Amino acid sequence: MCALKMSPAMPERPGYFGYDDSNVILELRLLRKEFHVHRGRTIVKAVDGVSFQLHRGEILGLVGESGCGKTTTGKLIMKLIEPSSGAIIVDGEDRTRLPREREIEYRRHVQMIFQDPYASMNPHFKVKDVLEEPLLIHKIGRTRSERMDMVAEVMEKVKMSPASEYMDRHPHMLSGGQRQRIATARTLILKPQIIVADEPVSMIDLSTRAEILHLMKSIQREMELSFLYITHDISTARFFTDRIAVMYLGRIVEIGSQDEVIDHPIHPYTKALIAAVCEPVPGRVGIERELQVKGEIPSAAAIPAGCRFHPRCPFAAKECAELPEPELEDIGGGHLHACRRWKEI
Amino acid sequence: MSDNTASSAALPVLTVRDLKLHYFTSKGVVRALDGLSFDLLPGETIGLVGESGCGKTTTGVALLNMPSPPGRIVEGSIRIDGTEIVGLGDHELRRKVRWSKISMVFQGAMNCLTPVYTIRKLMRETYAEHFVGERIDAAAIEELMRKYVTLVGLPEHVLGRYPHELSGGMKQRVVIAMALFLEPKVIVMDEPTTALDVIVQAQILNLIKRLKRELKLSYIFITHDLATEAEVADRILVMYAGKMAELGSNEEIFGPVGSRHGPLHPYTQKLLASTPLLRKKVSELAFIPGAPPDLIDPPAGCRFAPRCSFAKEKCRSVEPPVAEIENRHMVACWKAMEDPEYVRA
Amino acid sequence: MNLRDSMESLRDFWAEFSKVKTGLVGLALLLAFVLLGIFGSFIVPFPGASSHWRDITFWQDNPQAAPPVWVNFFSATKGCPSTTLTKPTVNSQDEGNGVSLETFVFTYAYRYDLPPRDMVVRLKGTGQVPVSITVERPDGLSAEIYRDQLQLAEDDVQRVSVSRNCAQAVIEFVRGQNEDLASTMSPELIKPIGILFSKLDTHVSDSPTPVKGEYKITVTALILSSDFKLDKPAISISGYVSGLLGTDASKRDVFTGIIIGIRWALIIGILTSVVSVIAGVLLGIIAAYIGGAVDWLLTRLYELIYLLPVLPFLIVISAIFKPSIWTLITIICLFFWTGSFKTVYSMTLQIKEETFIEASRALGSSAWRIMLKHISPILLPYSFASMALSIPAIIVYEASVSLLGLGDATIVSWGQILEAALSQGAVINRLWWWVVPPGLMIALMGMSFAFLGTALDKILHPKLKTR
Repeated sequence: MCALKMSPAMPERPGYFGYDDSNVILELRLLRKEFHVHRGRTIVKAVDGVSFQLHRGEILGLVGESGCGKTTTGKLIMKLIEPSSGAIIVDGEDRTRLPREREIEYRRHVQMIFQDPYASMNPHFKVKDVLEEPLLIHKIGRTRSERMDMVAEVMEKVKMSPASEYMDRHPHMLSGGQRQRIATARTLILKPQIIVADEPVSMIDLSTRAEILHLMKSIQREMELSFLYITHDISTARFFTDRIAVMYLGRIVEIGSQDEVIDHPIHPYTKALIAAVCEPVPGRVGIERELQVKGEIPSAAAIPAGCRFHPRCPFAAKECAELPEPELEDIGGGHLHACRRWKEI
Repeated sequence: MSDNTASSAALPVLTVRDLKLHYFTSKGVVRALDGLSFDLLPGETIGLVGESGCGKTTTGVALLNMPSPPGRIVEGSIRIDGTEIVGLGDHELRRKVRWSKISMVFQGAMNCLTPVYTIRKLMRETYAEHFVGERIDAAAIEELMRKYVTLVGLPEHVLGRYPHELSGGMKQRVVIAMALFLEPKVIVMDEPTTALDVIVQAQILNLIKRLKRELKLSYIFITHDLATEAEVADRILVMYAGKMAELGSNEEIFGPVGSRHGPLHPYTQKLLASTPLLRKKVSELAFIPGAPPDLIDPPAGCRFAPRCSFAKEKCRSVEPPVAEIENRHMVACWKAMEDPEYVRA
Repeated sequence: MNLRDSMESLRDFWAEFSKVKTGLVGLALLLAFVLLGIFGSFIVPFPGASSHWRDITFWQDNPQAAPPVWVNFFSATKGCPSTTLTKPTVNSQDEGNGVSLETFVFTYAYRYDLPPRDMVVRLKGTGQVPVSITVERPDGLSAEIYRDQLQLAEDDVQRVSVSRNCAQAVIEFVRGQNEDLASTMSPELIKPIGILFSKLDTHVSDSPTPVKGEYKITVTALILSSDFKLDKPAISISGYVSGLLGTDASKRDVFTGIIIGIRWALIIGILTSVVSVIAGVLLGIIAAYIGGAVDWLLTRLYELIYLLPVLPFLIVISAIFKPSIWTLITIICLFFWTGSFKTVYSMTLQIKEETFIEASRALGSSAWRIMLKHISPILLPYSFASMALSIPAIIVYEASVSLLGLGDATIVSWGQILEAALSQGAVINRLWWWVVPPGLMIALMGMSFAFLGTALDKILHPKLKTR
């Protein structure tokens, strides 16, 4: 058992993850977020007990459909919203609730890339203003010219060179791919440790997507950043990430290396997700896809009892509805899943 | 360049010749669609694919002759079931052509259902606007609505519901039913599954395949995603910068790259290489540097030349015409045509 | 934003702005007002009037309730305009024994049908100086209208007014020509100045015929010793018509009053609108962005003030406390901030949800930084339009309060002028030149800001989408 600073509220780590503990930069333990809507009459459990570890220098993909809680998880990590319960542990220390001064320090080390490359930058700001803002907030760089040097340096890093050509432009004068490079540069200028990327390429053209992903990956490897890559597109996740975590209705149902999860999925939801993905291969016209899932995603305000996937699962048995929700089970090699009946399926 | 219909027995249900649609903006004339020609046979699905700004959505609205101002069809002909629709007035289009001969599922239509009307009222209104022939009584309309609502896999009581009571997938089915129920010959679908979750997307694609099989209608399926296109399109029309790059069968476009029975246009090849696969691990994902050209002042010669790795002298100066390489496989590329001048240079 | 960026955005803005014609009209009017406001004191005939507006002695040489000079264009009988004679021919004659006889001869070309209201000779000097004033008419007749020994002091200006001081002398002048006519005259009933400029016939009192030509007015002074002296005198002719916009019942030049009023109208209008809009915008942003208790408090405050009727409140406060113009401005500001508050509040609520605000928070921005650096610049265009559009109402409120006699009596505003006009019977006496100009100016200034504001609003329309 490692000596971690335990705060009274920090829950016990559930299960056994089987990864090297010393290299964990971010750990979530039973993180929960509830939203009270309709004047508190309805409780939406957006994130319902999420636990995982992000290792130094790793890219972890958080994959799921809309409403699964992946974006909310990202925002909880970014401290844009407060968790209802659970712990966020960075570098061994519990950072779930921080006083203001420590919070600013936290934000230096944890950065976010947003989905919409245009909306994430103030349209009245020039590129240099967008990139200078983090420096001003964190009081880095004593003179303007010192700050501008840092801005130019980070622009070169994201291959927006010569920097002087782009510095004075407004976001609407850049293409989607260029804007996302600037958004990436904005996260890098503070030399963070963790980057949360929320669908960073889903609004960018296909032909430029790979360019941006390639850039992100090379920067990540070079700076040894730890990436949390949130997406609904499991194909891109396969290409980009080291490990994949599959989320359903606020919980992780499967997690493991991307080869393992995609080639040898265990959880029925993961299997259904993979089966549903289309590919650019010939001969598919007229052949209906077999989808081993029934119905639609239930509301996060009315999560089914027992295993939350059981109403839609074609393999569900009585025990799946009656027994409590299965915890993540390790089947070796860091591949975990939450299906009770996996051996029978 | 007319389609070679000598080998096909049936007459095309839709013929498009040299279609040009330009937007007359204060900054100049945007040549969004600059000369498109193709034929659509009965029961056939043509997939219109391309990235943002290529003109595929413009083509969709042009086929219903409803360009949004300041757009205008400046040249070309569109014949649906023998009737020329370019040049017809709005009233005639509404009564004789739209929804009765050709209908459209717009991009994001599922979010545009008037929230204060029930589905029944919405469909009745569509009927009232577009009916052709003698009026039929309310009972007959009801019968028609029930038939198509069931056809798209929804329970009949959906007719009495309001849009906000339905899920995303159900709303999309409603929109498809609304496009079908006046029994047109051609249906245009613009990104019908893009806004949906992966599993729901697969369900809707299954529905479209089933409808294709049962109703034997002709579809124009517009999307930016080649993987989705592979599921439904018999033939695929790749567009770039307002013009056709390639038009080939499903087997040809997704066939082996490099062979005469595979994709021939460099853009198509690059696009395929940029699309990540799920079931096969991809080590490198291709990308195309640069951005699509400005449509107010497009470059001389082939519009893809500035970004093409095979571009030579001739490509940059002379625009390649659409040529038929194999039976009904068209390409607009000097290299694909093995043009002697190109080969020599 | 450095200077070059500002210049660039200014140029883009101007390109847009010049397309709206009414905006250009408004801008032109505003520029005219501002120029007149700044340089007005150089063009008014009575510099120094603003501090002496209620000083009777300052205006004493003006005619009372005289129409503007340009009414002469529209009438067959031309009235004599006010003027000042200042350049006499000076003659000094040494009489010996340190005594000298000084003569100052003024020439006055009189070509009018209607005589002036008065002629005033202003004398200044030192010591005991016997003075006589003679008027030589074009028809050859000469009248000594004044003879007396004056006790002069350096800072004391003695005024010899023909209407008041020379009635008897004028009757004597008439007597010298026509004994019978003079016997019909009595000093209290005649108009001496009229007689001086008219033909001495039997109709001299009821329908006088003017004597036109060159008049010579000679002021003769006997300087008895070297200690005594008489400075160069000046003669004021209080015309039948006077000034560009006539005079009022207190002899004040209306044109001067209107020009001075511009300054006050601009100060009141612009100051109040700038302060109230800035307050409303800031409070709106704070309430919407911070939310919670602050929002609750500010919104309740807004609702309370919004419900209060401005004018009755102003009237009551003014009647009880008789505030200065600055207090009045403050009170109007306290009401007017609500105008921009609500719109800014709604806009901020929307802007608050934008992704770039979220991104800024994620970077560690404080609430103040977001409000000042991100939200305010977006609302700046709306603020300018709002400022321009609130000015007409502000000017009218001040004018209304002044009109009711409750305004700040130490300033000269158009409202004040109107108040004086109505309370001193301008309407009854048909002194239209006193009533119309101030009202017209209020309307014009209101119109110019309304045009400007509408044009600004059209271009800088609060784009609730920030793209």
